[in-house]
Amino acid sequence: MSAKKYEERNEKSREGRRSHLLRKWMLIGVALTFLGLFIFLPLIVVFSEATSKGFELYLLALTEPDALSAIKLTLITAAIAVPLNTVFGVLAAWAIAKFEFKGKNILITLIDIPFAVSPVIAGLVFVLLFGSQGLLGPFLEANNIKVIFGIPGIVLATVFITFPFVVRELIPIMQEQGTDEEEAALTLGANGWQMFFRVTLPNIKWGLLYGMILCNARAMGEFGAVSVVSGHIRGLTNTLPLHVEILYNEYNFTAAFAVASLLALLALVTLVIKSFVEWRSEKLRSE
Amino acid sequence: MGISINGVSKKFHSFQAVDQINLTIPTGDFVALLGPSGSGKTTLLRLIAGLELPNSGQILFNDLDYTNKNVKERKVGFVFQHYALFKHMTIFENIAFGLKVRPRKFRPSKQEIKKKVYELLELVQLKEVANRYPSQLSGGQRQRIALARALAVDPEVLLLDEPFGALDAKVRQELRIWLRELHQKMNITTIFVTHDQEEALEMADTIVVMNQGKVEQIGTPQQVYDRPKNAFVYSFLGRVNEFRGEALGTVKDGCHLSDNYVGYLRPHEVHLSTIASDNSLPVEVFHVHSVGASVRIEIKRLDNDTLIEAELSADEYRRIGPFYKGDRLYANCDSIVVFQHQHILEDSLPKTVASTI
Repeated sequence: MSAKKYEERNEKSREGRRSHLLRKWMLIGVALTFLGLFIFLPLIVVFSEATSKGFELYLLALTEPDALSAIKLTLITAAIAVPLNTVFGVLAAWAIAKFEFKGKNILITLIDIPFAVSPVIAGLVFVLLFGSQGLLGPFLEANNIKVIFGIPGIVLATVFITFPFVVRELIPIMQEQGTDEEEAALTLGANGWQMFFRVTLPNIKWGLLYGMILCNARAMGEFGAVSVVSGHIRGLTNTLPLHVEILYNEYNFTAAFAVASLLALLALVTLVIKSFVEWRSEKLRSE
Repeated sequence: MGISINGVSKKFHSFQAVDQINLTIPTGDFVALLGPSGSGKTTLLRLIAGLELPNSGQILFNDLDYTNKNVKERKVGFVFQHYALFKHMTIFENIAFGLKVRPRKFRPSKQEIKKKVYELLELVQLKEVANRYPSQLSGGQRQRIALARALAVDPEVLLLDEPFGALDAKVRQELRIWLRELHQKMNITTIFVTHDQEEALEMADTIVVMNQGKVEQIGTPQQVYDRPKNAFVYSFLGRVNEFRGEALGTVKDGCHLSDNYVGYLRPHEVHLSTIASDNSLPVEVFHVHSVGASVRIEIKRLDNDTLIEAELSADEYRRIGPFYKGDRLYANCDSIVVFQHQHILEDSLPKTVASTI
């Protein structure tokens, strides 16, 4: 190869490398701009708006009785919905992943319904079921049980909306693991409980935790379905997201953003735990 | 423990996996369930273990009806093809599992468990791995640990599902010998599933040849290899050349067979000669390749162009060879075994069998 040709080729590859670099930085730039505009900026706005009238007002907005009751109700809802969906999620995932039965595909489709329908419709379904004009309304009224416009309705709607998280997370993990280890435990003399707690559970624990975190995030943040069934009674049936809406509609922006910042903070904590769990399970898988 | 299987059937949806099987396994026997994939051998093993329940029939352990007992009550040791070690436990914990899950009354003390685990680790020659995790072990090591774990609960029957299926050839060979020795030492009734006829012939006392959910033949390795009951058993055990029937007056004339008959001839039973004789078949050398102590020669029939595989010992080849592609030879089919409608013609079986093993 002549020196000239060599130089030409070198020049070309240098050009190629430069355009490759250019493409790389352009892509990164676009992605970062997008993220900044749609994720970071709103977050910053939430926190800056919340504290714009001073830190004392911020704290006050979070500690007034209605806000505290909203926080309490949100925590109660999550405390019921997450364990319930964890238990049912494990059971459903187990049935689907490890057994063959008729109607399995229908069951898988049913599990996806809460994701497929709009949350508002989910809320309406509960109103139609338990409301005073609803299917079970007369019975509930006769027995003096209040579901709609009460805490039971909120919990029910939240359980419904957050049902798929744990199941969806566990099915692929359980399917991948098959039944060998469980069968081995049985042949070694373990009973059903020992098999579950010593073999099945340790194998799915990171996936399960991940599903529970997502379930919890949604349970605390759910708006649509809860809004339909809650009745928005201040201090009684208001969850955090509903409380934010009410404050906002009353032009009480500082308080609205203060409460919203609490939800945002919760989301951030959830994301950090989620990343940690992902990192842990990734590490375990690669070992 | 002796096991009797009486008319056991198992169906998965519309697939008949195991069909009316009768089998008696005496105490201390070393049995191979041999068959192609889908022949029902693994299902039969799982039925014995209680991991599947039969649709009909009975399974007896020491003449007691165990048909409806669950896995736990059967006290069998089961070794899985893919080891099924508990990933999140150390090797020590894996082996100790069966002892630790016992009800408190029957559970050995910590020291006793430790002693037992180390005894077993010594038995499988892997004392140094006690504190490692299964993922840090090789396939052969994992399978030995799986065996140690199964033996920890002192089973009276050991069931192995394609135990060496996932291992490479060299390790497989080593483990075969090792398992055989272990069986002689411990004398536990052992049943293993395999699709590898060589493995079955080499290891087992008794071979159960299975096909399409049914037992085709039960016998010692020598019996099933030398006196196969039917065409399936003959063709499944070892390499064979198949001779199809053609329009012919008599049943057999040299290498020619009549319609409705099929003949089998093992490669080492094809006798080659450079001189034509009575009943010999003119052939042409197609390909010669030597494999260790033997030489495989592919020859082409001149009458219908089909290929036949012949195998000579290296000594024999040196005596009558060498051959090159295109050489004319004469093949002799005296040892051919002829079957009609899946049944063997008694008089066609070789009378002397000693030379074939």
